[in-house]
Amino acid sequence: MSTIEVRNLTKAFGDVRALDDVSFTIEDGEFAVLLGQSGAGKSTLLRCLNGLTKPTSGEIRIDGEPVNGPRDDVAMIFQQHYVLGQLSAYGNALTGALNRTSFFRSLVGWHSESDKYEALRALETVGLLDQASQRTRSMSGGQQQRVGIARALVQGPNLLLADEPVASLDPASAETVMGYIRTAAAERDLSTLASLHQVNLAREFGERFLALRDGKLVFDGYREDLTVDVIDRIYGDVQTADIREGTEVSA
Amino acid sequence: MSGGGSASDGGARGDGDRPRDARTDGGTQSKSGTLDRALQDITLTKRIKWGMAFLISVVFGFFFFEALAEVGFSVAEILYYWPEFQSALGDFFPRTTLFGLPFVDFGSYWQFIQERDLLGAAIVTLAMGFAGTVLGIPGALILGVLGSERVTPYPFNFIFRGTMSVIRAIPALVWALIYIPLGGVSPFTATLAIGTDTMGNLGRLFTDALEEVEDGPIEAIESTGANRRQTVVFGMLSQVFTPFIAWTMYILEINTRIAVTMGLIGGGGIGYVLQTQRSLFKYTNMMATILVIFVLVVSVEFVSQRVRSYIRGEEEEGLTVLKLIIEFPQRMARSIWE
Repeated sequence: MSTIEVRNLTKAFGDVRALDDVSFTIEDGEFAVLLGQSGAGKSTLLRCLNGLTKPTSGEIRIDGEPVNGPRDDVAMIFQQHYVLGQLSAYGNALTGALNRTSFFRSLVGWHSESDKYEALRALETVGLLDQASQRTRSMSGGQQQRVGIARALVQGPNLLLADEPVASLDPASAETVMGYIRTAAAERDLSTLASLHQVNLAREFGERFLALRDGKLVFDGYREDLTVDVIDRIYGDVQTADIREGTEVSA
Repeated sequence: MSGGGSASDGGARGDGDRPRDARTDGGTQSKSGTLDRALQDITLTKRIKWGMAFLISVVFGFFFFEALAEVGFSVAEILYYWPEFQSALGDFFPRTTLFGLPFVDFGSYWQFIQERDLLGAAIVTLAMGFAGTVLGIPGALILGVLGSERVTPYPFNFIFRGTMSVIRAIPALVWALIYIPLGGVSPFTATLAIGTDTMGNLGRLFTDALEEVEDGPIEAIESTGANRRQTVVFGMLSQVFTPFIAWTMYILEINTRIAVTMGLIGGGGIGYVLQTQRSLFKYTNMMATILVIFVLVVSVEFVSQRVRSYIRGEEEEGLTVLKLIIEFPQRMARSIWE
């Protein structure tokens, strides 16, 4: 469990403000969903929380500790899953334990007994125990993403971040993978922040919702506050305007 | 040459277009003016291209003839010495009769192969190529990985890239000459030279392979809180594991051919037998040795190709034995100056 505090977070890439004065707090153990259309700043916000990107100004504290770089108590699930195709599902899950394994031991694959069990337990959580020794390169997109989740779980995080975890999956796999993320978070009492662009999935899985538009936080509330009007405010009129102008809608 | 060809094609097409343009002239006045201008532009560009192609051909031809003069190339020489070469050919391919028909006398080849233990010599050559490759791998890994801009920050990676460039600028044969004070003219010196050459060549291939790695898995490993070295090994090197093995096998093929040529300067093995027989003008024995070299190099290449297609894990066409044999002389020749 973790508390995230974000204060006046701004990230500029040249003249473009990807995040503009964003502030919010996520309490221990909440399952929060980050909404917004492509380019709204969702990925940038998650990368800042993870320490992969340095903010231009503002502050992020996780459990009171400022974020200065990647840390072992924050795990991330990526849209393109980024698992190592060369390794088995088990080998990939074990890379989550690198932060507590010395360089030499990780090089020769000499992991502690508890880490080995942790990797198998994580694979069991995502329903891949039977495929543990299969090379991830030969797995389906949904399975690879579940391996990515297992890796994040083995890291033993307090906070789980997910950047569009199901955006490149078909609708059925998307449901399954979101289900595994929710189960894993509930079983291990993790605070979770997942960005999604499918509103129906978001409503199905989220408790708490944050929404970004052009880098600004435009909504922060719970399921009952997420009305059709609010969704229109996040997506609707912009999309129709784009269609009117004949530009391509990326969603 | 191909440039000139395509330019002439373009010209022909341009001429063909002209009558059609004339017909469209019947349209609006301003429109035909625009088309005329476009046509003029195209014609001008074509002419410039033609001029350039002509100029390049002239310069190319000039350098070619200068080069021939420089090496004293002369057809008269070839004609003059042809009878001598013909008699040597007779020795290269000794004749016997088989069921009354003239046939190459493989028996005399086999006799020499056994007499001089050419298979043993071939194993020495193979050992030089193999041991040299293995000795070179650690250096190639270190230089190759540190030479990548993604591991060592920009100006500093050139220390390692530069080292590899210097190694590669000196041919393996010259490295052997440099090492002579260390081990005399021997297979040992040749192996050291091959190892050094491998560090430069294989290292460079490793660096190039590392340029292809994706950022995603690196960030994924970084985000688990892994340290810098773990990120390099798991995020980057695991992505290039397969290409690294494939490149190493490829360098092993090249090193086997280099090991043959090492013998020519006295480095031992099968190449040394070839050199000795040449200086004795025993052309039949030379051809017997060349046959053994042929079998050795093609075998190594065949094994290497199989391993490479196996680790790629896909049933691809691969090189057939026939193709290996047809392309053999070209690769052998290349290995002498590389």
